[in-house]
Amino acid sequence: MNVPANVAKSSVLASVIFWGIILSSEFDLDITPFVLLSYIPIFLCVLIIIVGSICPFFWSAKGDIYTKTQVFKMCFPYYTVVVFGLCCFGIYASNYDLYFTAFFISAYITTSQSWVWFAKEDTK
Amino acid sequence: MYKTMKKITIIIASFLFSILFFDSAIGLNLSIFSLVTIGFLMIYNLEKFKNKTILLHTFAYILSAIFVFINHSSLAIIANCAAFFTLVGTVSQSSNSIYVQWFNGIYTTVAGFFHRNFEVNEATQKTDWKKDIDVAHWAKLIGIPLVFIILFILLYKNGNPIFNDLVSKINFDFINLQWILFTVLGYYLFSNISKPVHVEPATSIDLKTKNELHQSDDFSEEQLKKEKQLGTTLLGLLNVLILLYIATDITYMLTSEATTGTELSILVHNGINTLIASIIIAIGIILYFFRGDLNFYTENKTLKNIAFSWIILNVILIILIAIKNQTYITSFGLTYKRIGVHIYILLTLIGLITTSLKVLKIKNLAFLFRRNTQAAFIVLITCSAINWDSTITKYNLTKAKSFDIRYLINLSNRNAVILNDLKNTLDISQENKNRIGTKYRSHMLDLSQRDWQEWNYDFIANQDKFNTTND
Repeated sequence: MNVPANVAKSSVLASVIFWGIILSSEFDLDITPFVLLSYIPIFLCVLIIIVGSICPFFWSAKGDIYTKTQVFKMCFPYYTVVVFGLCCFGIYASNYDLYFTAFFISAYITTSQSWVWFAKEDTK
Repeated sequence: MYKTMKKITIIIASFLFSILFFDSAIGLNLSIFSLVTIGFLMIYNLEKFKNKTILLHTFAYILSAIFVFINHSSLAIIANCAAFFTLVGTVSQSSNSIYVQWFNGIYTTVAGFFHRNFEVNEATQKTDWKKDIDVAHWAKLIGIPLVFIILFILLYKNGNPIFNDLVSKINFDFINLQWILFTVLGYYLFSNISKPVHVEPATSIDLKTKNELHQSDDFSEEQLKKEKQLGTTLLGLLNVLILLYIATDITYMLTSEATTGTELSILVHNGINTLIASIIIAIGIILYFFRGDLNFYTENKTLKNIAFSWIILNVILIILIAIKNQTYITSFGLTYKRIGVHIYILLTLIGLITTSLKVLKIKNLAFLFRRNTQAAFIVLITCSAINWDSTITKYNLTKAKSFDIRYLINLSNRNAVILNDLKNTLDISQENKNRIGTKYRSHMLDLSQRDWQEWNYDFIANQDKFNTTND
């Protein structure tokens, strides 16, 4: 499993989605330094989420007969529905605050795409 | 060509999605969206729409869309969403249990795009990988220069006032990026439901699970006899106990004169608590004893009769609670909680009927889950057909012996018109009359300011009143 590559790709994706949503609402060139700096906390968040919640599924099936694609097909549906529910609740609980909405949308898309990248390592 | 046409359909649908929902509250848009979704699903899955189950769920979805337009309530919106997920799940696999269809529907809607990465043949997969590499390359080609250009613009901005003025004049206000993102969301949604997917192995396991129980080959008659004895004794004693409870309950109802709201409230709530515990234990015990070979044991007639009599006694218990709740409603009017008790009673009754069917026709646990969830779905759609705020107000003001006017005023604006119409016939304080007037005017103002996407039946029915109220 290529965790570093996955985390690197996912953190870029998360940054693009997060700031894409925020800048679509309040575009200001002056916040660009913050956009660049924010990559560090986003990277840490993505690292924690991927290592803590996605990798264990693949690690637990490592010695078994399951391929990564099979792990994806078996576990991803339940994972994604739960994460989607949590993200929707988060957006609702934050009273549709722009920053929280952007955070939860990027979290949902990034975790889902991260699953796909892990599972696709099989076909490479 | 065919694929291009389908892509165009998704793009058109996503534009419609944005036109309907961007910056708008729920109203006519959700009803139109439901029709668009049905049309869209039909274009992509025309063959499947000959199936009776799919047609039935399409009908339920259309009904829920109509109820959203007429009632405009949260319940109607929830029912519409449930009907949407059910329809998408049914298109994915029509023979599944309704709860698996819900899950398939939700999964398709939220993650169909990600799932379809692994539903292609080898040839397409290779092409997809090439596409992936292209995407990464294009992302680098656009992303990296963009980041550096912005960075240098920021640096140069501070060094030269003319350059700073020039940069400040750049205005992207003519592009509504949020609208574009919203359209992308619509594209994602329609692309997901265009080809519904199903969750494995849940779907195939559910398809393999039949409703019937089968006799095992290695059952011991001695063991069954002991189990039957235990079941007969336990259920027999429980029958006696519940009979005693019902007798005392009827005596209490006939002799006591609970007239205050608090007394009746305690009666109903205690009854409901007893009912919840009793029904759960009743169904649990019946399911335990009739879980396997005891169903096929030749001498199980007594146990079956006792089980049926316990179910009947539980039904009597339900009727008693319903009577108490109705007495409470007649005296102190309808509230959401009291309606909730009636709905709970109805669901419990359905649960008991399906349990007795399970015992009678030798069905398994899957049968119970399937029938009960189907019943819950039908109850949800049926309940969404009613404008509860208006019904509560009308009943309390015209039929109930007493009513709480503050409760009625605090309900949503969907009862504003009926409250305003009846306010002069009621014996209430001037302050409450003023509050009703304020509520009515604010409702009319809200209706008059709605965009066409937010229209509902209330808007059409009260159009003539806007001008007079606003004047």
